[in-house]
Amino acid sequence: MWNSIYYFVMVPMVYIAFATLILGILFKFMRVVFSPPIPGTLGIFPRKLPKPLGVLKDSFLVPAAWRSSKIFWLAIMAFHLAFLLLFIGHLELIKDFKIIQVISHEVFLGAGWVGMVLIFTTLFFLMRRFSSPVRQISIPEDYILLIVLFLTFIFGSHMHLAARYSESGFDIQVGDYRAYLSSLFAFNPIIPEEISESPHYILLVIHIFLANLFMIFFPFSKMIHSVFVFVAHKIKRK
Amino acid sequence: MEKQKRKELKKLIKSRLTRPMRYYLDLCTRCGICYDSCHVYYGIPKKEYSPVHRAEVVRKIYRKHFRLSGLLWPFWGDSTKMSDQVMDELLEAAYSCTMCRRCMLHCPFGIDMPYILGIAKLLLIGNGTAPEELVMLADAAVEKGKSIDEFKEGYQTVIKDLEKQVQQRLKLKSSEDLIPMEKKEANILYVGLAGAHSIITPAIIFNAAKENWCLSYFEGVNFGTFVGDPEKANFIAKRIIKEAKTLNVKEVVMVECGTAYRILKYMVGPLPFKVSSIVEVIHRYISQGKIKVKEGAVKEGVTYHDPCQLGRNGGIFDEPREVIKKVAPDFREMAPTREYNWCCGGGGGLVALDNEEFRIKSGKAKKDQIDVTGAKIVVTACENCVMQLKTIKSGYGMDVEVKYLSELVEENLII
Repeated sequence: MWNSIYYFVMVPMVYIAFATLILGILFKFMRVVFSPPIPGTLGIFPRKLPKPLGVLKDSFLVPAAWRSSKIFWLAIMAFHLAFLLLFIGHLELIKDFKIIQVISHEVFLGAGWVGMVLIFTTLFFLMRRFSSPVRQISIPEDYILLIVLFLTFIFGSHMHLAARYSESGFDIQVGDYRAYLSSLFAFNPIIPEEISESPHYILLVIHIFLANLFMIFFPFSKMIHSVFVFVAHKIKRK
Repeated sequence: MEKQKRKELKKLIKSRLTRPMRYYLDLCTRCGICYDSCHVYYGIPKKEYSPVHRAEVVRKIYRKHFRLSGLLWPFWGDSTKMSDQVMDELLEAAYSCTMCRRCMLHCPFGIDMPYILGIAKLLLIGNGTAPEELVMLADAAVEKGKSIDEFKEGYQTVIKDLEKQVQQRLKLKSSEDLIPMEKKEANILYVGLAGAHSIITPAIIFNAAKENWCLSYFEGVNFGTFVGDPEKANFIAKRIIKEAKTLNVKEVVMVECGTAYRILKYMVGPLPFKVSSIVEVIHRYISQGKIKVKEGAVKEGVTYHDPCQLGRNGGIFDEPREVIKKVAPDFREMAPTREYNWCCGGGGGLVALDNEEFRIKSGKAKKDQIDVTGAKIVVTACENCVMQLKTIKSGYGMDVEVKYLSELVEENLII
């Protein structure tokens, strides 16, 4: 029975998660597009930068957080930057991308630091939610998402650090992940024996299960801020 | 709450689900950065007065009635069914907010929290629990728009009296046509308020500048917006637009009322005439030499309170400052200032409600700001702000004088 559950998490659930993520975002976006526009503007002043630059600055540099708390801003920036590197790192677990290797590095990108940064910033966000006044405005969604992310990072980071730094080595190698992930993307899914027979298989299954959950939650939770942040900043300058 | 009632209220929410509303309702991460950006929270530090909490009251209902998670897993988003208790929460959220949008500036996503509270206000109207004072004022404005001909004669008689006061101030021989009305092809249609001061002072300035202007039959303030009724708000604004189009004026100049200016300038879409604030016009007259003021005549320290709807939400920051500095060289900025200026606590129709104690408490941030400047005169350019600043002044026993910008200019006008 466990084998069937592992297989479900490793293959069908991944497809379900990706489909939910992509279609969900599309659905959310279309709902906005097909809603009635407003006649005037919800603009705010002053507008020191031209619209595209201002939108990019407000979205990527988060000046509102900088003004509020430098530590929180640092955590936000570190988290999002690490998340981007994490995404790139996972792309490399599908296949070799020359463009990513412009700065030559060993896969996974960041030599373990990316995971560490994500773990500690997520922990910081979580702890912040337990203290007043953020605690008073937090709802279950906030905690669940952070816990899911935190656990995903813990398991992912463990596998990476064990493979990279453990003297006895780690029995799942980059090539094995590539065989698995590229087969998923080719719609011809296989789980190589090097993975399925590994004593560490369970770690990967839990990591993927949590990542799947996160992707399923993504379009229907506050994670949608990563998509809508740009339009919200755009209307501020209309 | 009955099922049928809930159904009707749900329809009202649906009517407000515009494009920005859709993403504003979805993208808040409850990061808490906006928490203490509200002047009400500064004065009364309760979570109910944090912008994020106010918006969450609406979001919880939205999630319950419009999102699958609200139906299948309400725990996830703390979704809440509409009930009488929720309606009370909505009332507190909506009418403790002055729509100043300071929180929008502090939000990393730029969410317009007062725009979300538009849903709360509409639900309160649907539930019959919106503040009666505001509903009545909005209805009166709508009624005036519908039957303006009945009002005209009485209004013209009042204006004749006001013309005499303008004549006295300008030391003219005749009071004839000093406040013209229904003047076709005028350069300016000036929209005042119900109070005589909002007509006499600008009339003196327009006449001093020898402007080709006329006065509107309507008042600029939009109680439809304050009470959150989009149809009434639209009708009230359209009365002025219709009048301006009929007279074919080049420019509509709004009284010192931030909301009136913002609605006509930014909220109703493109118009065939220019929309300005009286503040901009005064600045223009002084720059062009059309009126002259006694430079440096005011010796006391003067500070300027940026009305939220004129500054942060209207983009007028420099003009009033330049005008004040001409008359009063000892100009003192508040801190924070300009777009980050604290709201005085009078906007959103709150000054029209019986809530003086609340407004004194929520005006604490403004009181502290004024104290730090040490100024003796607080100048502003919004009717609501002046009324609220006077409430703060008496509430805290402050030794300051509160003035309209137009009043400061008129007092120091060289005739």
